Amino acid sequence: MPFKPTGDVRHVMQFVLDPAAAKIWRSAGSIITEAGEQDLRPTTDEGWLAVQHSAVVVAESGNLLLLPGLARDGEDWQEISLALIDVGMRAKAAAEAHDADALFDVGGQIYRICQSCHQIYIQGVTKVNPLGG
Amino acid sequence: MSFKQISMLVGLALAICTPVQLSAHHAFGAEFDPNRPLILRGPVLKVEWVNPHAWIHLEVTKEDGSKESWMVEGGTPNTLLRRGINKNSLKPGTFIVVDGYQSKDRSNRANGRDITFADGRKLFMGSTGTGAPKDRSDPTDQ
Repeated sequence: MPFKPTGDVRHVMQFVLDPAAAKIWRSAGSIITEAGEQDLRPTTDEGWLAVQHSAVVVAESGNLLLLPGLARDGEDWQEISLALIDVGMRAKAAAEAHDADALFDVGGQIYRICQSCHQIYIQGVTKVNPLGG
Repeated sequence: MSFKQISMLVGLALAICTPVQLSAHHAFGAEFDPNRPLILRGPVLKVEWVNPHAWIHLEVTKEDGSKESWMVEGGTPNTLLRRGINKNSLKPGTFIVVDGYQSKDRSNRANGRDITFADGRKLFMGSTGTGAPKDRSDPTDQ
């Protein structure tokens, strides 16, 4: 079956995964000042739908990273990519339920997966638990 | 068309609708200077309790008495919680001391390593596995 990648892994990170993850990260949490606490969760249905869009992009990034030519190996790379799909779908479910606490937790999970991958494939750490804390 | 191909097309279609922006997630070396260690002291002004990094803003008094605001990057909120740091322990006005490294662009931004509270508690506030210097702050990276 033919397919036509539009760039390398860095391209997927820059134009697909990073912006989508950032949207999720910016949509949960709070800013605390002397004046009080500002909740960052979306306040409209359209806002939550936009988070769902980004969550699906995160999930589909996992599929993109499994394509021949982008996948680095069938071991940690595959496990991390599959974990990205799962966590993206958990973010979608949280956004569908308008559950800001769940979205906040999932945001941390997304970061852990990113960090694990970077440790192994950029920093050369030989063994990392991709789903570990 | 296989599931994998459909997934790829859906992903790309969604991606082209997403604006490009700077990554909030970065390696230590991309933003911070390991040769610029610093110690910041002062009250908390603001806390951004967000992923992928919490940011603590504090007011630092310089030697000439003038004040300036610094922002210090920490780990994820969940990792900070596991180490005993939460929103309540960082209320505005709380006096803290932060050991860290200044940003490469020499702005008032730093990567935090240890945070020390007025009662003497000293806790690691950074991220693990970002490529930060092995300065013995991170208990998992000795």
